[in-house]
Formats: sequence, structure tokens, C-alpha cells
Amino acid sequence: MAQVRETTTAAVTRYGLLLLISIYCIMPFLWLLVAALDPNAGLFLKIPDSVSFNSFFRVFFEEDGMLWLTNSLIVCGGATVLVLVLAGFGGYALSRTRAWWKRPFLYGIILIRVIPPTALIVPLYKIMLTCNQAIAGVVRPIAGPEYYRQVMRIFGFIDGYFGLILLLATMQLPLALWIMKTFFDTVSREYEEAAIMDGATFNQRLRRVLVPLAMPGLAAAGLFAFIAAWGDFLFPLTFISSPELRMLPIGIYSAFLRANQIDYGLLAAIAVIYTAPAIIAFALARRFLVQTFGGGLKG
Amino acid sequence: MSSITLSNLSKRFGAVDVIKGVDIAIEEGEFAVFVGPSGCGKSTLLRMIAGLEPISGGAFHLDGELMNDVSPDKRGIAMVFQSYALYPHMTVAENIGFSLDLKGIPKEEIRRRVGEVSEKLQLEAYLDRKPQALSGGQRQRVAIGRAIIKQPRVILFDEPLSNLDASLRVQMRAELQQLHRTTGATIVYVTHDQVEAMTLADRIVVLSGGQVMQADHPISLYKEPDNLFVGQFIGSPKMNAFPARVAAVENGAARIRTDDGWEVALGGFRSLNPGDRVSLGIRPEDLSLAGTGERADITVRAILSERLGMETYLSFETSGESAIARVAGDHRIDTGETVPLSINLDACHLFDTAGQAIRRGQI
Ligand SMILES: Nc1ncnc2c1ncn2[C@@H]1O[C@H](COP(=O)(O)OP(=O)(O)OP(=O)(O)O)[C@@H](O)[C@H]1O
Ligand SMILES: [Mg+2]
Repeated sequence: MAQVRETTTAAVTRYGLLLLISIYCIMPFLWLLVAALDPNAGLFLKIPDSVSFNSFFRVFFEEDGMLWLTNSLIVCGGATVLVLVLAGFGGYALSRTRAWWKRPFLYGIILIRVIPPTALIVPLYKIMLTCNQAIAGVVRPIAGPEYYRQVMRIFGFIDGYFGLILLLATMQLPLALWIMKTFFDTVSREYEEAAIMDGATFNQRLRRVLVPLAMPGLAAAGLFAFIAAWGDFLFPLTFISSPELRMLPIGIYSAFLRANQIDYGLLAAIAVIYTAPAIIAFALARRFLVQTFGGGLKG
Repeated sequence: MSSITLSNLSKRFGAVDVIKGVDIAIEEGEFAVFVGPSGCGKSTLLRMIAGLEPISGGAFHLDGELMNDVSPDKRGIAMVFQSYALYPHMTVAENIGFSLDLKGIPKEEIRRRVGEVSEKLQLEAYLDRKPQALSGGQRQRVAIGRAIIKQPRVILFDEPLSNLDASLRVQMRAELQQLHRTTGATIVYVTHDQVEAMTLADRIVVLSGGQVMQADHPISLYKEPDNLFVGQFIGSPKMNAFPARVAAVENGAARIRTDDGWEVALGGFRSLNPGDRVSLGIRPEDLSLAGTGERADITVRAILSERLGMETYLSFETSGESAIARVAGDHRIDTGETVPLSINLDACHLFDTAGQAIRRGQI
């Protein structure tokens, strides 16, 4: 054994340093949690005198916390599902095709990620506005004046779920396509052919062979898409104006701006509520991410 | 258990002709092996039989039934893939029973039939495992189980033993032979390992460049290759080919003079004329060390000797590429040493300039 017996000083230094770095990283989260539970939370971290869930109650009963959470879940969940479906099929196609435009296309879509979204906001707004008008032209005669607002809140491009879902999905799709394309590159075609020989229809191949095999890729793509959409602030701010559609990040922001005196407990509680789904999403995806599918192939 | 007839079968990918008019007949219950160099179209041909590649031209009959446009699962053909392609998310039992499950056969019935198949393949103990937890040999057995549970008319294998280590390969070869015996199924098997081909096949089909070079029983292929390609492809080390010329034909024996300047007299070649250019094919095992006092047919200069213990591979100089003699016993031969060799004249082959075999006529 060439291992050097380490001295106490070395060990203390090492673990001390690690502890310091961990504290530095954990501090903001700790502050959030403590402040959310402390009825007299202030700007500085302190041990609370008493623990109370009062701040959380206020988010849900005094503020529109439930509404914001629901809106965020609908929009980000919708965007994630859309991304998964499109990236699942698209990634498969991109992996299997031999078309000449495959590489240019793949590099092309990455450009969408390279351009900062803020730079796109004006042209995007213009496009969304045009689409919104087109949709409105369809909705208005069908829904009639009394339901027009409600329908547009779902299908509208400006100040509607649908437009925002589409937009967020578009922003997350390139990365997801890359992930799925790369993933399917590693899924041998022989699995599908084996399923064909076993008499599986297209649907059965998809459901019983391809999707289970693609789970790790889908989990990764879905997790990234959800977390990016969940953390987005700019698009909900720009494209949503009615309070009924307000999402969590805007909720925090408006609570922060509104009071003449900042209510740290309330803000911290919203932030904790805002963080939780991202962590839950990670926990759900983790199971599939680590799943490895060795052993189907020889060698 | 069915006969396969391929007539003038062809396949093109875009502008590339990959299979160029192939005629093959495989009889019921036969173990047919496709061999050939890499890229010659073996896998493509197999996949056309399976129905995974559409047929561009010609006809494929199974038991006299035209199969060109029948979908893969309706052909009654099962395939064992090169990678095995066991579904990694399913257990062994689910893998084997998958095709039955897709057909909507009741769970009880599936369990019973999976039980039968796994008993035959000695997989009972592993039915609840995922493929990940199996050895290479067990994986192959699962792949075979997945094929035979369909009670197919034909089983196709695409290089099932490649990438396996040598001892496992010997064992799996034996298992395949037993499978063939017990099921009696018609088997088409692709490999580029000629030992596999020689040991397993009832009929070897040698392919090159998308064409059939020869199809015959392994020993006939070895003894009477139709052309230089087959002669050199079957047998290891490969048959030596010496460029030569017919020096004279006298009372039924042709004196063949190689470009290296030595001569052999081969009986039975009636159709030759003096001056014809030929290739003289001599298998390494038909060259032997001439003992002292024995007459040497040729004397050669050694380049390299490889001593395997029971035999010695001796590479020697010629004017073209070096040739090999496979001599029995262990010999220590230094580079540059001159060695007298005798030739088994009855086993020499002659090929014309196009590479076609010139056969010995009736004497
Ligand atoms: N989808 C395809 N498109 C174009 N060319 C193809 C396609 N599939 C195969 N080929 C070509 O067809 C030829 C035969 O391929 P095939 O896979 O049948 O060879 P093989 O004899 O099985 O070789 P190996 O021993 O390496 O497996 C090759 O030259 C290959 O490049
Ligand atoms: Mg092949």
C-alpha cells in the first residue's frame, strides 16, 4: 500500500474546506426554507424564534398562489409533453434518416439556442401577435362575444396558454432533439427488426419496444425541457398579462414589487413552492436516467 | 421445414447493385451456410429472405409459394440477429414469449410454450432474469428460443457466433448442430468464418460481389472448387496460386511450367493446348517436405516458418506473392534456407485466365 497515512491537520483542512464550500452552496436554499417557516423573517439568516406555516397559508389564501402554481404547471407541463412527443419522433427520424440535410438541420436548430431569447423578443412578439389575430378571427365567430375571452385564454397566442406552451416548447425543442437523436443512435436497429419479425405492428413496436428503450433519453430530454421552461421568466412576463394566467415566477416578482415593505417570509414561501416542482421533476426523472439497458446485444 | 428457391434474385440500393441475380435452391431441412468476404451481400440476401429488405428483382419461393411481397411476420421465418437484439427491458420469459403475446395468445398458453422451449434450451433457471444478467452463451440460447417458439418454417442466422470467444464458439457450434437435428428446421446461416461453414453446413453457398460463386457440399467445395475464388476462399491457409503456362501436352499428361521456372506434370487434363496460360492451384497441405533420398518436386527458399507444434507453416519465395506450405510435424527452418518440397500432384488444380476451374477429363 502506497497510501500515505494522512495527518490530522490534512484531514481537518480537507473536510473544513469541503464544509465551507457546501455551506456556501447550500446557504441560499437554507435561507429560503428558514425564512419561509419564520413568522418574523428578515433579510438576514437567523434561527427562527418559532416555526409556523403561516407564510405558506398566506401564499395560498391571501395571494393567488394556487392559481400561479396551476398556471405554471399547465404551461410548463404542456410544453414538456409537446417537446417529448416531437423530440421522440423527431429524434428517431433524425437518427435513422440518411438525408443530406440531416447535419445542416441539426446545426441549424442549435442556432435557436445560441441566440439569446431576449434578442428575439421583439420579432417574436410580432409573430405571436399575428398568430393571435389569426386565431382570434377563428374563435370570435365560433365562441361568440360572451365566451370569447375564456376561449382566447386557452388558445390565444398573446395572453393565452397555447401560445406560451408553443413558444416554450420551441425554445426547448432543439436541445431535446439533439438528446433524442444521439440517444437513438445508440439504440440498435436490430431491436426494431426483431420486433418486426415477431409480428409487432408499428404501434406495438413503438409502445412495447421503442418507448421503453428510449426512456432514459426521454427522461433526460424531458427534465431539461421542464426545468428550463419552469425557470423561464421572460416569456411569461412578455406574453401573459391577465392576472388569471399569471405564473409563479411573475407571482414572486409582483409580490416583491408590490408591498412598500418587503415581506421576506411570504417571498421565501413562494420561492420554496416554486422550487419544489423542479426538484420533484428531477426525482422522477432520476429513476429513468440511471437506468441502463445493457445486455440486449452481444459482446 | 421448407424448401427455399431464389431465382435471379437481385437487390439495388439506389444506383448500387448489391445482389446481382442470384439463383440458390435450399432443400427442406437443409443447413445452408452463406459465406463470402465482407460486403459481398450475405446479410442483405438473408434480410431479403426475412422480408426486412424489399426484393428489387427476381423471385423468392418458400415451399413453392411466392414470398416477394409477403410481410415478414407472415412468412413463417424466424431470425436470430447478429447482435441477438434481446429486448433489454424484458425478462427472458417475456423475450421468448413476445411474439405469442403480440398475437394475443392467452397468458397460460404462452407460459406453457415458453416453458417447453426453455426446457429444451436449458433456460428454465433464468426465465425471470433480464438479458443483462446472462452470459453470452445464454443470450444466444434466448435468441434461439425467441426464434423457435414461433415454430418457424425457416430459421435465419446472421453471424451469431461472431465476437464470441473461441471456446464458447466451439460449444455454440455444437448446440446449433443439435438444434438442427432436433427441430429439423431449414436453416440459413451467414458467416465469414469458413470453419463454421465447413463444420455446420449441408450446403455452402460462396458469395462474392453479390453473385454466387459456387454452392455445394463443403467437401465438394474443398475438393473441386469451380473457380479460383472458391479455391482460395475455402481452406486455411488459402490455396496457393502460381501463374503458369502449359509447356506441353503428351499422352494425356500436361506439363505445366510456372513463371518461377519449375514444372509439374498433371495427368488427365485433355482440353489443354501448349501455350495456354493457367493458374496452378496447390493447397498448402498438398505441399510436404521431401525426405532425404526422396525426389523433390521443387526446391524453395524459406521466408518464414511458423511452428504450431503439430505442424509447421512455411512461407516461401515465388516471383509473385509468397506461397505457403503446411507441413506435418515440427520443423525448425531458418529464413533463407532452401527447402525441398514434394507436391501431391493428384490434388493440384488448374484454373484458366478467367479463374474458372479446368477439370480433369475422363481417362
Ligand atoms: N441500406 C444500404 N444502402 C446502401 N448500401 C447498402 C445498404 N446496406 C448494405 N449496403 C451495401 O451492400 C453491400 C453488402 O452489404 P451486406 O451487409 O449484405 O454485406 P455482408 O456480406 O453481410 O458483409 P459483412 O460480412 O461485413 O457483414 C455492402 O457493400 C454495403 O455497403
Ligand atoms: Mg453482414
